Amino acid sequence: MTAPATHSAAPAARRLPLPAFVDGTLLTLVAAAVILWFVPSGMGRYGTYVLSLWLVMSVAVMGLNLTLGYAGLKSLAQAAFMGIGAYATALLTSKVGLNWYASFAISGLLTFAVGLVLGFPALRVKAHYLAFVTLAFSTLIWLVLRNEQWLTGGVFGLSNIPRPSFFGLKLDGALAFHRFVVVVTFLLAVVLWWMIRSPWGRAFTALRENPIRAASLGIDTRMYTLLAFAIGSAYAGFAGALYAPLVEFIDPSPFSLSQSFFLLLMVVAGGAGYLLGPFIGALLGVVLPEWLRFAGSLYLIIFAAIVMLLLIACPQGMSGLLERGWAKLTSKKEGAR
Amino acid sequence: MKKHWIIAAALGMAVSLPALAQDKVKLVDVVELSGAGATAGTNWKNGIDLAVADINAKGGILGKQIEIVHYDTQTNPGNTRAAVQRAIDEGTYAVLGPVFSGPIGASMQIAQRAEIAQLVGGEAAGLTKQGNQYLFRTSLSQSAAMPKIAKYLKDTVKAGSVAVVWVNNDFGKGGRDAIIPELEKAGIKLAVDVSTEQGQADFAADAIKVKNSNADAIFVYLNEEESARFLRAAKQQGITKPMVGETTLLGAKVIELAGDAANGAKGHVGLSIDAPIPAFQEFGKKFQAKYNYASDHNGLKGYMAVYMVKWATEKQKKFDKKGVADTLRGATIKTSEEPGILIETTVEKNGDLDRESFLAEVKDGKQVITATLPKINP
Repeated sequence: MTAPATHSAAPAARRLPLPAFVDGTLLTLVAAAVILWFVPSGMGRYGTYVLSLWLVMSVAVMGLNLTLGYAGLKSLAQAAFMGIGAYATALLTSKVGLNWYASFAISGLLTFAVGLVLGFPALRVKAHYLAFVTLAFSTLIWLVLRNEQWLTGGVFGLSNIPRPSFFGLKLDGALAFHRFVVVVTFLLAVVLWWMIRSPWGRAFTALRENPIRAASLGIDTRMYTLLAFAIGSAYAGFAGALYAPLVEFIDPSPFSLSQSFFLLLMVVAGGAGYLLGPFIGALLGVVLPEWLRFAGSLYLIIFAAIVMLLLIACPQGMSGLLERGWAKLTSKKEGAR
Repeated sequence: MKKHWIIAAALGMAVSLPALAQDKVKLVDVVELSGAGATAGTNWKNGIDLAVADINAKGGILGKQIEIVHYDTQTNPGNTRAAVQRAIDEGTYAVLGPVFSGPIGASMQIAQRAEIAQLVGGEAAGLTKQGNQYLFRTSLSQSAAMPKIAKYLKDTVKAGSVAVVWVNNDFGKGGRDAIIPELEKAGIKLAVDVSTEQGQADFAADAIKVKNSNADAIFVYLNEEESARFLRAAKQQGITKPMVGETTLLGAKVIELAGDAANGAKGHVGLSIDAPIPAFQEFGKKFQAKYNYASDHNGLKGYMAVYMVKWATEKQKKFDKKGVADTLRGATIKTSEEPGILIETTVEKNGDLDRESFLAEVKDGKQVITATLPKINP
């Protein structure tokens, strides 16, 4: 959880004649988006769906990565925020008849606002206490989703959630919707990439590394703590807004406390504080269990064992492992020269 | 590089397997094997495994052996959808499961779009009201069972007011929403409406609430373990009013767990290994022998689901996926045609089932059937 803050500027980017703002992370994002645009064409609907689910979860994990990995706030409410976004989008698109884009924006704004309100306790309490505050919030949201049947459908959930269209182009098919998810995820990742490189990102990291020094350098710690939490929550809201039309059905179970823990696991396993960490973490959390299905009833045990071994071998998650490997490779090459 | 070859070899094998398995018919069961639905899902899975073993031992369906695959849903709608999609991409002949209504709601459109029959264990009333022609139940729906309970409460128990105790999950909530209008219709007053949690350990407060309501009878609609805990708590609080339930309250597991406290509990039983039908009891013994515990109604449902698929296939005399649904819709499956169905079952046009059911009572630690109720539309 104490990953080095700057890691991204890969040496390759410096050698190529590219604009100064382009770095390895951005190149990876662009390349991955292009690959993910084309890759599912031969995969069948199941593979396509799992890829889309992976990207949607990645968005939620990106948000948590900002609050935990960059700003160091331990939140156990990410799944609850995702639930707020998912239910808001589902209700606005299927009951009110609003289009998806507006619902997406409202979901983000709503979770941002709720994040701000919930973030206030973060100013007074830290670490475990913040975890308890968010834990209580998470349980509260779950109870509202389950008990307020007139609004949320209760335990029966909401079904027939429409998928969006793009300038008249229907996105009902698995592949079309997958590509839509790829584009939205890419845009959200680029925004986060920009944010992390901006003075804001530096301030978030400063908060995590040494809040007292950050304050003495003139950083408004109160504002930045709040912002980190609210932006992280808004990403969960965006993820929820994608999740609802992807599954076309929601009930309270994917937004329960245990799912918040699972999202936390994805951040840590992927590498907290690395921009590409959430994608690797969500890959571990969403795709690995699906891939392990061949192991039959043992698959969750194998999955748990893999995650535990990974965290023992590399407490900084997969990104930390990759970074160490990369560092070794490049230092060898330079030594040979 | 070596790793790539291993992966490629594994993939190659996976692709070539179906070619080897031409003499098999593949059935995929998508069910809750972890998460909140694990107890129900494991019973359902074991029932299916038992049926598949029986059928394969007797030569399979139309000479083809059944290849059964179970996919866990983690009781999560998103994962359920992935698993059902995977089942269909892998060319399953029919989809079995899931059991919980939420995951069913998340996945039923996929089987419908693929025009493949999906046989589910869900009892919530809403499932069959969405015009899905490919969804079939394996038990009575709550909207079929509850009128029988209301009539029983009115005519036999002669209750003027009833306390309703239910578990707040899709099963319990569905039952509660179905019984309350029926009670109203029967002119029975709702004394108190008590919501409890799944996995709740202490029912003392709920029992006191029920006692203070002074209801003439108590309708208990909880899962097995919670039912037993409630019965014990009710006994401790000195509640003497009749406990009336539906299927779970009178189940073997509840009687075992509640001990003396279960005596006197009565109600309606849909599927039970204690029902006075030799085939049910036979199933119960086989299940007990194989898994070393008593099956609940979900085990029976899973068992019957496989036989519904078998019956439909043999009826149409070919392996036609869409045909399974077409054949099942509106059909009556008699035990003389297919003994594995255990009890004569009518599949209605919307996928609901109609069957005989029973009124029972717990006496001296045993479930005793007191009456057999006819089908709703005989």
